[in-house]
Order: sequence, then C-alpha cells, then structure tokens
Amino acid sequence: MTLRLAALFAKELRSLFASPIAYVVLTAYVALSGVYFFQHLLNYNRLLFVFQGEKLGSSGFDSGTIPLQVNSLNELFIPAANDFSLFLLAVLPLVTMRVFCEERTQGTDELLLTTPLRTWEVVLAKHATTYFFVMIMIAASAIYPAIVVTRSQLGLEHLLALYLGQLSYGVAIAAIGLACSSLTHSQLVAAMIAYAIPFALLDFAWLEPQLSESAAALLREVALLGHLQSFTRGVIELRHIVYFAGGTLLGLVVSMASLELARAR
Amino acid sequence: MRFLAAGGMVMLLSGIGAYYAVGQVSLFSTANLLLGAALLLAAGVLEARRFRGFSGRLARSLALRWGAVLAATFGLVVLANLLAFRSGLTLDLTVARQYTLSEQSLTLCAELADAERPERVELLLFDDALLADDVRLLVAAYRAACPIETRELSSADAPPAAAALLQTYDTALVVCRAQRCEHVGYPSEQNITSALLRVVGEELGPLVYFDVGHGEADLASERDHGFSALTSALRNEGMRPRAFVGAASQDVPDDAAVLVLGSPERNLLPAELDALDRYLQRGGRLLVMLEPRARTNLVELLERWGFSLPDAVLADRQSSPLLEEPQPLALVVNRFGSSHRVTSKMSSRTMVLLPTSRPVLAVRKPQADDDLAELVYTSPQAWAESDVEAALSGREIRPDPGELAGGELPIAAAGRYPRPGGEARIVVIGDRDFASNRWIRSLYNQDLLLNAVLWLAEQDTRVTIRPKAWTPDTQPLPLGTTLSYFYSLALALPELLLLLGIHAWYRQTS
Repeated sequence: MTLRLAALFAKELRSLFASPIAYVVLTAYVALSGVYFFQHLLNYNRLLFVFQGEKLGSSGFDSGTIPLQVNSLNELFIPAANDFSLFLLAVLPLVTMRVFCEERTQGTDELLLTTPLRTWEVVLAKHATTYFFVMIMIAASAIYPAIVVTRSQLGLEHLLALYLGQLSYGVAIAAIGLACSSLTHSQLVAAMIAYAIPFALLDFAWLEPQLSESAAALLREVALLGHLQSFTRGVIELRHIVYFAGGTLLGLVVSMASLELARAR
Repeated sequence: MRFLAAGGMVMLLSGIGAYYAVGQVSLFSTANLLLGAALLLAAGVLEARRFRGFSGRLARSLALRWGAVLAATFGLVVLANLLAFRSGLTLDLTVARQYTLSEQSLTLCAELADAERPERVELLLFDDALLADDVRLLVAAYRAACPIETRELSSADAPPAAAALLQTYDTALVVCRAQRCEHVGYPSEQNITSALLRVVGEELGPLVYFDVGHGEADLASERDHGFSALTSALRNEGMRPRAFVGAASQDVPDDAAVLVLGSPERNLLPAELDALDRYLQRGGRLLVMLEPRARTNLVELLERWGFSLPDAVLADRQSSPLLEEPQPLALVVNRFGSSHRVTSKMSSRTMVLLPTSRPVLAVRKPQADDDLAELVYTSPQAWAESDVEAALSGREIRPDPGELAGGELPIAAAGRYPRPGGEARIVVIGDRDFASNRWIRSLYNQDLLLNAVLWLAEQDTRVTIRPKAWTPDTQPLPLGTTLSYFYSLALALPELLLLLGIHAWYRQTS
C-alpha cells in the first residue's frame, strides 16, 4: 500500500514538474514576493529616515525619536508576510485546477478509476503532491523573511511560527482548490471556484458594520486572514491550526466523495 | 457555464474591490457581490448536471453515504474548532516571549486573586483595540492568568476617569479599579503590569521617603543625575515615592515603609542622625546609596549597624569589556550573593552597571541575632583604589600594597536587625549614579534597586526580574546591501525558475 502510494506520488510529481505551469506559478510567486518585499524594505528605510531626520543632533541620527510601533517587525516582516499569503491565494488555483480536470480532459480518469487502486490512494497522492508543491513555493520565499529575522534578531522560532502558519494556510487553500478541481470538468471553472471560495472567506470586515456584534464575532472566526495574523506575530494558536486543518480535511473528503461518485457512475 | 463562472468571479472581485477602494458598502459593491455570487451558484448548478446519471440504487446509496460522510466531517471540523477556541492553547515563539506573562505579572495576578478586599479590576479597551493582534494576544494572556475583567468600549462611552486619560495620553487601554484609572500607553506587558500596580498601589502601596537637603539627587529632575526615572519605576511597582526634608523634621514619619538616602554630600545634623537611629531601633527600613567621594557622618551611623565603607573607589580593568570605552572605574558586575532575597533572582546573566562605586563590607553583627550579608561583588581582578581623587580625575591608577584587592570585593550589603520595636532592615549600595536617570535603565540596574526597596518594604514576594521592553531592530538596511539582496535574490531566483519552466515546456513540446 505504501509502495503504491509512493509510486503514485512520484508519478504525480513527475507530471507536475514536466509541465511548465508549475515553474510559471513558482516564478510568479517568488517574483511577486521578492518585488513586494523590497518595496516594503524601501518604505521602511524611508520611514526610518523621516523619523530620524526630525531630530538630527551633532552625534548623527537620534534613534530615540522613532516611535515604538515603527520597527522591522511591524513595518517589514508582517506586511511582507501578509502579501505572501495573498500571492499564495492568487497563484495556487492555477496549480490545483489541472490536477483532477486534466485527467478528465485527457480521458485518463477512466483508466485511473478502473485500476485496482483505491480512491483514497489516488486522492491522497494527488493532494500530497500539491502540498509538496506548496512547501516548495513557501520555502522559495523564505529567504526574504529570513533576512529580516537575522537582521532584526527576531529569532528563528518566530520564522518557524510564520512558516507553520503559511504552510497550514497554503495546504488548506490547495485542498479547497483540489476539491474544486475534482468537482468539475473545466479547468477554468475549477480555478474560478477555487478563487471564489477563499476570496469570499478572506475577510468580512466589510460586512461587520451591517451585523450584530455576535454575528460579526462569528464571521471574524470564519475569516481566513484573521487566522494568519498570530503566526506572523510569532505565536502559534491551536485554534488556527485546527481551522486550517479542518479546511484541509474538508477538501480531502470532498475530493474523495467526488471521485468515488464518479467511479460509481 | 464557463462564462457564468468567469463573470461571477469578476463581479465578486469588483464588489470586494469597490468596498476596499471606497471604504464602505455602496450600491455598486452590494450589487456586484450579489450578482457575482448568483452567477457562481448558477455555474455550480449547471456543473452539477453531470451527476444526473445517478439513477441506480447502488449509486444512490453511495451518494447518500458520501453525503453523510461529508456532513459528519463538517460537524467534526466545527466541533474541533469550538474545542480549540475554548482551549486557548498557544505557543509563544517570539524571541522575547512577548505574549507570555513574566513572573512579576503572574505574582501580581496571584496577589489580586488573593486580595482580602477584592475590588473589581477592569481593563478597558477602547476603539477596537482588540482588533490589533498583538493587543489581543497580550490581553488573552492576562485574561488567562489574572482576575481582571476586560471591556470593549468606544471612547464616547468611557467612564469619566478613563475619559480624562484618553484625552491626555495616547492610549487605547486603561486599567481601572473602583473610581481610579491608570493609562497603559503603548500596549506591552510591562506597561499593562505597571498600570495594574499603579492602580492597586495608589491606595495601599508602601510610602518610600527620599531624604533631601544634603545634596541628594532631585526626585523630579529629568537631568542625567536626577531620580525622575527611579520615581517613575517605583510608581510602576505600586509604591508611593515622597520627598522628605530630614533637617526640618523631628523624626522619620511613622508611615515610611522605606527611607532612602541617595548619597548625601554633606554631613547630616546630629539631630537627624539621632532620628535615623531611633527610626531603625523601632524597626525602620533604610536604603543608603553612597558615592565614593561622599564624605558624610552617615558612614559612622552605618558602622554602628555593622557596615564598613572604606574611603576608596573600586577599579577593575577587566570588568567593563561591554562598554564602548572600557574604563577601570565603570564596573559591569554579575556576581551576586544568591542566598539573599534581594539578589535571589539575579544570576551571571543579569549584569549590573556601576559607573563609580565604593566597597561596602558587612563586617560585624551589632547583636547576635542580627543577620548581615553581602549582595554584589566585583570580579576577582578588582581592587579598592585609595587615591579617590586621582581615580575620579582620570589619572593613571594601579593597585598599591595595602589596598583591598585579591578577591571579589563587595559593593552592596544588607542587614536584618530584630529589635524590640520591630525588625530593622538596611541595604547599603556603594554607588548612587547607577540609580540615576542616565544609568537606571542600563542592564539590570533597575531590578537590583527595585528588589532592594521591595525587600526593605517587606514585599519579598514581588522580588523579580522585570520583563525587558523589547522592540525589534530600528536600523535601516544599508542601500548597497539592499540592492545586492535584490539582484541576487529577488531577480535571480525567479529568472532561474523561469528558465527551468522554458526547459520543461521545450521538452514537453518536442
């Protein structure tokens, strides 16, 4: 069973990296992350000079004039991490859309469904491959926050917390995307739904003024972005891990149900 | 169907985008959101037509089974989320453990819980302060450990005492007890705990009197040698510092929990010395800080209580390597008498910086039941330079025969003296500057001093190492380094990935 799963995983991985889309997505994500990180870095440097310039003494810059809120964590690390999570959301459906749909487009799904392989093995292999790809994407962008961590003595544990958050979030988004891909024949539809669900769940701040306090509080717990913030602050909260794990589990079960029903049909 | 899905997505995005662009829900954004959702739903329904082939009994039972599995999974996920939310389990991985309460805060919380007259302590959070994640995490830590209530309010609904603070200070957090409120300022553990201590201490906090009139540092002075930072640190510990003119008083006030003598530069009047002696005999508490140059008759009083303060200045060429300009007189010390309560929390990692200091030896017990101990020591390389003037004027000094040397020399000592009128306590520290505005926030100076005052005031349980106000780096990255990172990482990595993509595409098409 493990061997079959490993063989399936290897096959999926080969198929993923044989297509240029994986590289394009990786390039887009890393390039966007890099450009935005350096934009934040430049802004942070400018901000420091503005504050320092207010009180230029004979001994040079007086760092005592910088407000406590203006620091590398608040002005560079957290905004960059927030951007990275949005970029992940923007590019991941492009990878997940093809995973199940392509099998249907090429007609290989019939072959896959009539093999002695179990449904959960097929689904798990496809999910695991995509999660592995998410890990690669996140690792490729880790260089930038690592620069901040080493320069600002934020501590490697803080970086670990951030990346645990990004990974849980990325895996959950990928699972939703894969579930969408398993439900439809069209890659475009799969991508659109995979964009729509996380975007709809992203943030409900715009709705809150129209809602009662308890409804607003409930929506805050449902919103995706709210579950990412404490990771960027260096704190791992069980509830956020469970939230993302729940999303991943639902995506996995929907994919399995969809494939099982397709097999029965 | 594809058109419906794409159109729905575009409308949904336009709706959200319009909200963020304008900052409020408009007709445009609402219409786009509703229509976008409807189109996506329609696309989903059309797509679901492919499941119409489910007519067989087996297929229907499979669909039902998977429907049940999906519902059960969803229920399980909701339940797990609820349990995780209630558990409140967190792991603080910040370098300074910013969201984990320090021993000082936890001790205070325990005291609040044990208070004989527990009055409700409230933490008021104004104008959605909890939406900031750092505030939420910090408040959650206090909620878990402290018997304090938290209330979210808009500033328009603030109680009068809190409203006055909101107008005066830049703060979104206010701590209140009964009718009294204190502002927090920048939301950090140190500031919240200080506000709690202030609000609790203002009614009950010990009175700390500072004897003035003999050239001591000014309590209110914000200049380098002033004590305004010390005054504020004492208030943040819930104590009430007051100035006291000894020369104009017959006696030390009865309500004095501690009397501080911050290095008098002139002799005390004989009546003042008598008053001090009487104060100690009836169980008074005295903190003396004496500079090397200070020649005062206070030394004779201290000798009667078992201390010896040789007229010398401590020097050590190896004890200040951390300073930008190492000087033999500026001592960075990390050797403490761990058996004494005052220094029980100090260790080799908690260093104290003493700009110029003199030796303080605990030489003899005035009575058999008395207990004297030395608290802080120099390194073994130090010596007590007897040519104080030469040392302080920067002239070359070296250890001479007859001077105290060849071992760890004590810089601070403490004594307990059970007397019929109560237990007297004295702490003598051979330096005053370390407590001045200029140096008190250096290393662990503040902890040594505040712990000494707390021990004197019999608040031994509050002896602690205070959380350090930690902020990340505020230095800009040099432009050259920034650009080199940019070219080597931000541009080169995507380029490499793109080349790999082109290679994959070429292989696929050929």
